[in-house]
Amino acid sequence: MSKNIGLIGRRNYLLKQNPRIEELKISFKIFFTNPTAVAGFVITLLYFIDIILVQFFPSFIGISDPNRYIYNFNNPVPLPPSSSHWCGTTAGGIDLCDAIIKSIRIDLIYSLFIVIVGAIIGLLLGLVSGYLGGIFDEILMRITDIFFSIPYLVLAIAILFVLGVSLENIAFSLIIVWWPLYARYARAQTLSIKQMTFIESAKASGTRDLMIMFKHIVPNVLPPIFVQISLDLGTVVGVFATLAFIGFSPTANIPELGYLTSLGLNYISIAPWSVIIPGLVITVFALAVNLMGDGLRDVIDPKRRSV
Amino acid sequence: MKLWLYIIRRILLIIPTLIGLTIIVFILIHVRGNNLIIAEYLNPHLTGAARDYAIQQLYQRFHLNDPLFIQYFYWLYQVINGDLGLTRTPIYSGPVNTALALFYPNTIMLALVSSILIWIIGIPIGVWSAVKRDSVFDQSTRVATFTLYAMPAYMVYLLVLIIFAVYLKWFPISGAVDPLLLQGVSWYVNGISYPTHIIFIDALLHGDINIALNSIWHFILPSLGIALGGVAGIIRLLRSSMLEVLDQDYIRMARSKGISESEVINIHARRNALIPAVTSFVYGVAGLLGGVVVAEVIFNIPGVGYWTVQALLNNDAGGILGSTLIFGIILVTASLILDIIYAALDPRVRY
Repeated sequence: MSKNIGLIGRRNYLLKQNPRIEELKISFKIFFTNPTAVAGFVITLLYFIDIILVQFFPSFIGISDPNRYIYNFNNPVPLPPSSSHWCGTTAGGIDLCDAIIKSIRIDLIYSLFIVIVGAIIGLLLGLVSGYLGGIFDEILMRITDIFFSIPYLVLAIAILFVLGVSLENIAFSLIIVWWPLYARYARAQTLSIKQMTFIESAKASGTRDLMIMFKHIVPNVLPPIFVQISLDLGTVVGVFATLAFIGFSPTANIPELGYLTSLGLNYISIAPWSVIIPGLVITVFALAVNLMGDGLRDVIDPKRRSV
Repeated sequence: MKLWLYIIRRILLIIPTLIGLTIIVFILIHVRGNNLIIAEYLNPHLTGAARDYAIQQLYQRFHLNDPLFIQYFYWLYQVINGDLGLTRTPIYSGPVNTALALFYPNTIMLALVSSILIWIIGIPIGVWSAVKRDSVFDQSTRVATFTLYAMPAYMVYLLVLIIFAVYLKWFPISGAVDPLLLQGVSWYVNGISYPTHIIFIDALLHGDINIALNSIWHFILPSLGIALGGVAGIIRLLRSSMLEVLDQDYIRMARSKGISESEVINIHARRNALIPAVTSFVYGVAGLLGGVVVAEVIFNIPGVGYWTVQALLNNDAGGILGSTLIFGIILVTASLILDIIYAALDPRVRY
């Protein structure tokens, strides 16, 4: 009896000591009671399991060459889905299921790279410019204005012209196009947090600016940025595939979903599956991360909590 | 502030943006070195000393030995005087100016028709899903907009193409106008129509209804694709702002006065709900123009976007210069016009 009371008392004591753990528990509860968010999370997880399998255990799922399509010129015309080719084949006799499983890895890893690097650059610049204000802020905002004055796809194409078309360069060009968005977002968040009393008290107690920025502001700016990343990931996968779709020469042999779709373009009237199926794979992923992002937004925004 | 004063101030404010735009374009085409610029102008048949001499001449003509920022001013002077250089792509080679006259009308046409379609589709659906909140219509709209929002742009165009052109055969698969119709037409010379270069308007000016209708016919499918790609955001925003407006006191007031429900929605609520949608459309235009590029590639329409991609694939600096500049100018102008509409709709933003 006394032991029990002691345990409960100890638990309550720990909870008071660790509000973060309690907060995390509530967050998990909110996220996992939202069915659409869980569905999004599970589908996203499946895509990442696909990446891990293709990267580390390709033979386990029957993939012989994870970095290349396997052309089979015995049937150069696209074949419809059948028992031997579950998703059908595309021009050159490439098995679509095999190609898609390989392609997901490249699309997703590059897109993750783009959003994370873009978010880090944008976060740092937006943070400093929002916190310091003044001339630096003004210059940064004018620079982002200029970036927004060219349609992002056209700007990305122009940067690709400078760098040359390859998957790495598509990623670089999209980072250059994407960071201003995060910079604006991080700046707006920083400006609103800067007004709060706890920053004032940190300043009054003599904390250095760098310390305030990274210890007090960053932890508060990060969660919304994180949600933004998860919402953006779907868009970036689409734009990345779009650039590969319009920019790659047909001699490339890299498993990438946009390029895979472009292979079917000439056969669109006789073999629509070779275009629709790779496109659906991207759409489902984009839907899943969007659902997950909406769920995450409910978690971090107290106004939207219903628990 | 008077509206005209606001308009003047807003026009003055785009000057720094335009200067920044020219700096970016200049950097983009000069960062790969002078060889590309020289390659556009150099006669490929020259060899030996004659070739060296020609290269030297070009260096002098374009001040390529000066520091980059001095080169920028020479280049800007040249651009302001209307000389944008040369382009060499499989679909067109010659002065960039002529290429723009050739390509930009299709792009403008596509952008205009698709933005009109966005509003035609978006306003009724957004308003209705707010009015009939949580009905089957609202739920299915939400699913549809969520899917369209997540879909990559090219996928939407391909689906539209497969459904309406391949299966239903209602619309032509590709092209800007049926070339057979244009044979022997006096105002259409070497692929350029006169005087406005926009086939639809020129055909109307010359009283040729058949060609005008045919060009609209070709533009509906790509525009529908672009509109479906961009309409999801407008519908979502319109729904939420409509819900907000319907909750306001003056709507309750209007209802309690006994005004009919359709009048409340169409006259009192919808106008106010449209204001945020107009502002968000400023940001939508950039996505719309990006969509135009992809749609032109997929539907084989010879517009600026198609030319941009050709320039990218053929290492052509002139094409990249012309297209980034023209797309930037279209975007800046569009956001200027939308800002002015916004100010006219809502007097508070003028201050």
